[in-house]
Amino acid sequence: MAVTALLIDGIGVDFAGLKAVDNVSIAINEGELRVLLGANGAGKTTLMDLISGKTRSMRGRVFLYDTEITNWPEHAIARAGIGRKFQIPSVFRDLTVRRNLQVASCRNPSVFANLRLGFSAEARQRIDQMLAVIGLEDAAETTAAYLSHGQTQWLEMGLLMIQNAKLILLDEPTAGMTVAETRKTAELIRKMRGQHTILVVEHDMAFVREIAEKITVMHLGQVLAEGSIAAIEANPKVRAAYLGSKGIA
Amino acid sequence: MLFKNHYEPLAYAIFIAAILAAPLVLDEFWLNRFSKYLVFGMLGSAVALSWGYAGILNLGQGLFFGAGAYMLAMSLKLASPTSLQQGSSTPVPDFMLWNAEPGAPTQLCCIVKGSALWLPFQSQWFGVAMGLAVPVVLATVLGSVVFAKRISGTFVSIITLALVLLVRLLIIDAQPLTNGFNGLTDLGSFHIGDFTFDPYGLESYYLIAGLLSLVLVGTRLLISTRAGLILQATRDDEVRARYLGFNVPHYKTFFFVISAAICGVAGMLYVLVSEFASPTFMDLSFSITMVVWAAVGGRASILGACIGAILINMIEAKISETKALVEVWKAIIGLIFVLVVLFLPRGLGGLAHDLCRGLWRRRVSGTSPVGKTGTISHPAA
Ligand SMILES: Nc1ncnc2c1ncn2[C@@H]1O[C@H](COP(=O)(O)OP(=O)(O)O)[C@@H](O)[C@H]1O
Ligand SMILES: [Mg+2]
Repeated sequence: MAVTALLIDGIGVDFAGLKAVDNVSIAINEGELRVLLGANGAGKTTLMDLISGKTRSMRGRVFLYDTEITNWPEHAIARAGIGRKFQIPSVFRDLTVRRNLQVASCRNPSVFANLRLGFSAEARQRIDQMLAVIGLEDAAETTAAYLSHGQTQWLEMGLLMIQNAKLILLDEPTAGMTVAETRKTAELIRKMRGQHTILVVEHDMAFVREIAEKITVMHLGQVLAEGSIAAIEANPKVRAAYLGSKGIA
Repeated sequence: MLFKNHYEPLAYAIFIAAILAAPLVLDEFWLNRFSKYLVFGMLGSAVALSWGYAGILNLGQGLFFGAGAYMLAMSLKLASPTSLQQGSSTPVPDFMLWNAEPGAPTQLCCIVKGSALWLPFQSQWFGVAMGLAVPVVLATVLGSVVFAKRISGTFVSIITLALVLLVRLLIIDAQPLTNGFNGLTDLGSFHIGDFTFDPYGLESYYLIAGLLSLVLVGTRLLISTRAGLILQATRDDEVRARYLGFNVPHYKTFFFVISAAICGVAGMLYVLVSEFASPTFMDLSFSITMVVWAAVGGRASILGACIGAILINMIEAKISETKALVEVWKAIIGLIFVLVVLFLPRGLGGLAHDLCRGLWRRRVSGTSPVGKTGTISHPAA
């Protein structure tokens, strides 16, 4: 029996009476790649906010493996093993690509533990490997502000991987990307698989078909359906919800 | 990599050698003046640390400087001959006598309300310890509250600004205890064992030059540590840093406190050579002047900001010799500030860095076909 990496149990939050996320329960197995689908405003980003501690939940609980992390401070949730990529890419713009990765590779978060110079040979090697994985070897000494949109996204994913996050949350990682960049991102996500459990919000159905195993569909803050691509596409409730907007494809 | 290029350690070495050699060419009067400029240089570096590296524009740096200054000045005031000749068993500052109620006992414990606070300052080392502890405690409390509440940017500047003005007001208001507006003057000398530091002497100069060198090298090393790197990361994107698991307020507070401690030390050293402490240390204009020094010298450079402070003060001293220009000076410095902000946002330090980097790259590319730094590449799709 597979181990559950993330367990969301009846979570919910209201914004001024609007149930942005309502009684959502999802279980994701270790090593799984789960795609979260839903129209704009369905509550996908808010769900990620609830998992990562950005928004405090009003109802329900979140577990990472056996640890309940409901409403912990953001940095504590991150240290527990959840890495998050934002919809708008965010990296340390004034630092070089290598330094960005160095920051993320610091294992001990405390100030005093980090009052030391340099990085171990092992850490340096890991950083070099990560540069290769995200395809930024030639840009290692480039200040992050000068990276292209796609490169910035890959660097941010690199930060999460080198941080050794157990669960990685990706919010629309291919938004605004060219076709070539999207393909490279799909490849990167496939590389993440296995080492990390992944929850990804994505609109691009071609992309979803390329990477997804299991899909959860959200609608008006609730889980509408869950299953394989084929099952989701055949699901009458999903079809009804998307009726008028030409189905999910 | 510890240094951005090989010129940087060289620049530090040259600067330290220069200030150590300066007494060879300075007379007694200029030596005393120059030691004050070195103290200002220390303040410039402290601003660079907090503004350039932590992204905290503290407009109340004078609070920490003033706290350091007053704490040591209290001890030196009690060591002054004017305090020792009151015919009591404890030294009593002259101004307390003037402020005492008729019939009050001429003893430090009870001559004016609250004067017992001065009692431990009879030990000079208590004054020194407080000169460090008070800025550190103030900064720890202030930082913990402000940064934990995620107050940042302009709001931090406004809070620090309001705080320095408040403390300045309190000091002026507590006239019987602090000599208010007039500050603490007629101070005794600082001494270690039997040795007395003459404000105009070589020893005072070297004490300051030595401590400045220590502060420069120490701070530069500090920002090269992993913690320094993480600090710069929090400056660039606080949210990203938080979601990588760093407790951002801890990092900000830690470096804010270091910056405050440096200001406290600077305050004590300033008292040592200027022989007074005054509420003007907490004037808004002084704190803003420190920011100008750092901006001109380069807020992203610890050494640059220090040199900026020294240069501006030397120019000011030169200009003040011409009477007609004294009044114009404020306008000139304002103009320099505006020009630097507009055209040289990284200050003189940034300019020097770019020049050296250009030189370095030319030398490197002389031996290998590819420049090592700043290459922007785009991945093949
Ligand atoms: N901080 C907030 N305050 C008020 N309403 C919000 C807030 N965040 C999200 N919402 C609302 O919650 C709903 C879900 O938004 P979101 O999670 O961003 O959707 P999605 O990411 O699926 O497009 C939307 O109706 C949005 O307007
Ligand atoms: Mg969204």
